[in-house]
Amino acid sequence: MTTLLQQIANGLVLGATIGMIAVGYTMVYGIIQLINFAHGEVFMTGAFGGLAVWRFVPGVKDMEWYAALPLMLVGGVVVAVTIAMLMERFAYRPLRNAPRLAPLITALGVSIALQEAVRIWFPDADRSQSFPRAFVNTQIKIGSVEIPATGLLLIVTAVVLGALVQLYVNRSRLGRAMRATSQDPDTARLMGVNPDRVIVLTFVIGAVLAGVAGVLFGMHVQTLGVRAGFQNGIFAFTAAVLGGIGSLPGAVIGAFIIGMVKTLGGQYLPGGTQYDYVWIFVVLILVLVFRPQGLFGESEKVRA
Amino acid sequence: MSRFTALVPRALGRPLSAIGGVLLLIAAMLPWATFLLNEGAYPDKATLQFFDAPFELTGFRWHMLLFGIAGVVITFVPLLGKGRALRALGWGGLAISVVSAIFITSEGGGLGAITAADGAYAFGAVAGILGGLALIFGAGAVGIDDIPHWPDAPFGWTGWAERLFSWAVLLVSFVAMLWLVSETLTAGGSAGVSSPYAGAVFLAFLGMAGGLLGALHGVGFTGWISRMSERHRAFSVVVLLVCAAALPFTSAGTQYWMNVAGTIGIYAATAIGLNIVVGLAGLLDLGYVAFMGIGAFVAANLSGATAAKLGITLPFPVAAVIAAVVVGVFGVIVGSPTLRVRGDYLAIVTLAFGEIFTRSAQNNIGDLTGGANAIPSIPAIAVGGLEFNEPITLFGTELPAGVMYYFLITLLVALVMAVFANLKNSRIGRAWIAIREDEDVARAMGIKTGKMKILAFLTGATLAGLAGAVFAHKLGTSSYDAFTFLQSVTLLAAVILGGMGSIPGAVMGAALLFVLPEKLREFEEYRLLLFGLALILIMRFRPQGLVPDRLRRAEFAGETAEGKSIEAVQEQAVIEQEHELEASKGGKA
Repeated sequence: MTTLLQQIANGLVLGATIGMIAVGYTMVYGIIQLINFAHGEVFMTGAFGGLAVWRFVPGVKDMEWYAALPLMLVGGVVVAVTIAMLMERFAYRPLRNAPRLAPLITALGVSIALQEAVRIWFPDADRSQSFPRAFVNTQIKIGSVEIPATGLLLIVTAVVLGALVQLYVNRSRLGRAMRATSQDPDTARLMGVNPDRVIVLTFVIGAVLAGVAGVLFGMHVQTLGVRAGFQNGIFAFTAAVLGGIGSLPGAVIGAFIIGMVKTLGGQYLPGGTQYDYVWIFVVLILVLVFRPQGLFGESEKVRA
Repeated sequence: MSRFTALVPRALGRPLSAIGGVLLLIAAMLPWATFLLNEGAYPDKATLQFFDAPFELTGFRWHMLLFGIAGVVITFVPLLGKGRALRALGWGGLAISVVSAIFITSEGGGLGAITAADGAYAFGAVAGILGGLALIFGAGAVGIDDIPHWPDAPFGWTGWAERLFSWAVLLVSFVAMLWLVSETLTAGGSAGVSSPYAGAVFLAFLGMAGGLLGALHGVGFTGWISRMSERHRAFSVVVLLVCAAALPFTSAGTQYWMNVAGTIGIYAATAIGLNIVVGLAGLLDLGYVAFMGIGAFVAANLSGATAAKLGITLPFPVAAVIAAVVVGVFGVIVGSPTLRVRGDYLAIVTLAFGEIFTRSAQNNIGDLTGGANAIPSIPAIAVGGLEFNEPITLFGTELPAGVMYYFLITLLVALVMAVFANLKNSRIGRAWIAIREDEDVARAMGIKTGKMKILAFLTGATLAGLAGAVFAHKLGTSSYDAFTFLQSVTLLAAVILGGMGSIPGAVMGAALLFVLPEKLREFEEYRLLLFGLALILIMRFRPQGLVPDRLRRAEFAGETAEGKSIEAVQEQAVIEQEHELEASKGGKA
């Protein structure tokens, strides 16, 4: 029983990380129907941005966690947002009217290039980097389950940020412009919405969440490699699809389910943790085949 | 680029391109480096002394000289399509100069190496770059016209005269191609400690080959040849096969290059298989290499390798057939979601299957894949006592080890090409293309889309399985890390780089993507970074690929096979239709 609860807790922590990445996937797909494969790399560069602040900004190492953590978060978010804006501007925007395969392949290229750029130019990044726990290193005990404080922070942040984005998209003026663009870009443009601006904003929101997730995740697992983005990115994409791509609450809930599948599958299904990765893909395939619109998505309409 | 080249007034076109040609000529004569390259890190092995010696023209400077002469001559002779030819020559010269300039600068430590330092002058690279740019801009002002359409045969020959003429031309062209392939393969030698300049020499050679082919294409020569080879298809196929079989007899006939050529061949065969799925049927497959992997592991398990669990030893042809069948079954399984899933989602399903394969193979599923230890020491293919990894003697020439694999792989590529070409022009192929263009319309036209899509996966997978089986034996080992997501992306990139739906494209793409890492060992560190950037740039600037399929070219570039813009052709068609209509009206009245 304790094992089960503990694995559920672990699953929630993983789910929170994936969820924050999945928001970016689902929003970008909702607006421009692009599977932004490189979004996992935004997460990864965000994490490295936070690490860079810790390592290279003098004084940060000696600060209390409540001063250092925000600084690292800012560093991570700034890097993630910059990368996302650059990739939107120079890789995706020129292809907006290209056949659909083209941007997908560009996204693969961006993903590979970013991984390699970080590996080559970030000092020592060809090995996994140890990430500092610039944070109270305590375990929080709930009943018989132990969660590191960082894990709890991840869960809380994911839920709060997810709710904020949902609120923003549903209530604000730009959020309305976003929804309008995703429903019908041409009509939105006629109504005075600037699609370029909306698309950049979408990338930025996704990048903010991914950057935050990157720094917090690095801090939680305390080790960081350049491949972390790709793997978590795939998980996040799976989560977004599972929840129904285009749906924000769907992405977050999907992410928690994926987190559970990985931890519980690794614990209880044959093959153990070596195969936990496989179960996620099995879930993905099953969902896509039997409920392509996802758990919360609307069924796909054929667009003329 | 055309936006900028159009800035040059038309009257300046000819003078500018002539100046460009002359500059290339001068560049070929000038010294290129202010230091002796063979005093570098590898004093005895330096092969680029000619960088410093001013008037000995070898290697890339010889190519520059030829390009310069061609640039000047083409500028002043009346020739259709000269703008395109000049532009291609300019890009070629520019590419050669830039590659060499970067290389010398990085070797010689700074810009002094290609300008003036220590009392030495070396403005070759600068002149070459300026010359290339002048040619490109001059060509833009001369005018980029339609690619000219040459008549099938001179003097209106028909029948036997036309046939003999075409055969002669084709023969010469294919032999020239064989020479070019052999030279390209060996250009710069094998990379590594023994030849530190291999990458630079090879890239410069590629620049030359690209410029040359571009110029020939621009004046309408390659189009002429390709129409000719289509008319005489059987003859072309035979000559092509003979040429391919003749490669071991050229300078590329060493064990190393046969090995490389064999590997390229296997990836080319796989890329053509993938081309069926992606290029013809339009189903994006991001886990395709898993099929190759399954084929390799099946063959490995049936080969009698000691590490194989099954412990069954079957002769290679039987094992290959079994591998193909097993992989075909997997193809159907992976393809079955296509019944319900489309587009990007399908890409993700295939990616998921690919990842499941990699993960399972890595964990030695059912003890069949050897996990991290792989399945080592797979015996070589042996037919009738002939071990395929032994050197052989043919026509009195001793051919190096690996040559038998090269022949086998050539046959494999030929087989895959034949399957592809015949399917493409069949009812099935047209159904696939229809599905690619618009699935709903295809269905409305009575095509059984589900069956056809699964058939595409089945065919593609079977071919990849065969390639995998050969691959396992050739390599002698079968390891999961040869079949990961990155390989899938590389194969896909090969298909796209070459041009989707086109056979020469897939071969060329596979050759480039699998030779370049071999040649660019000194850039090993940056290999993947450059690969990623290349993907982005190709999609941005040439999404239709290097050798686009005619239909595909029309879609991606708004340009027909003859290089006319689609809009112009459509307008022309509308005008003609109107004329016809008027004429028929007039006829009635």
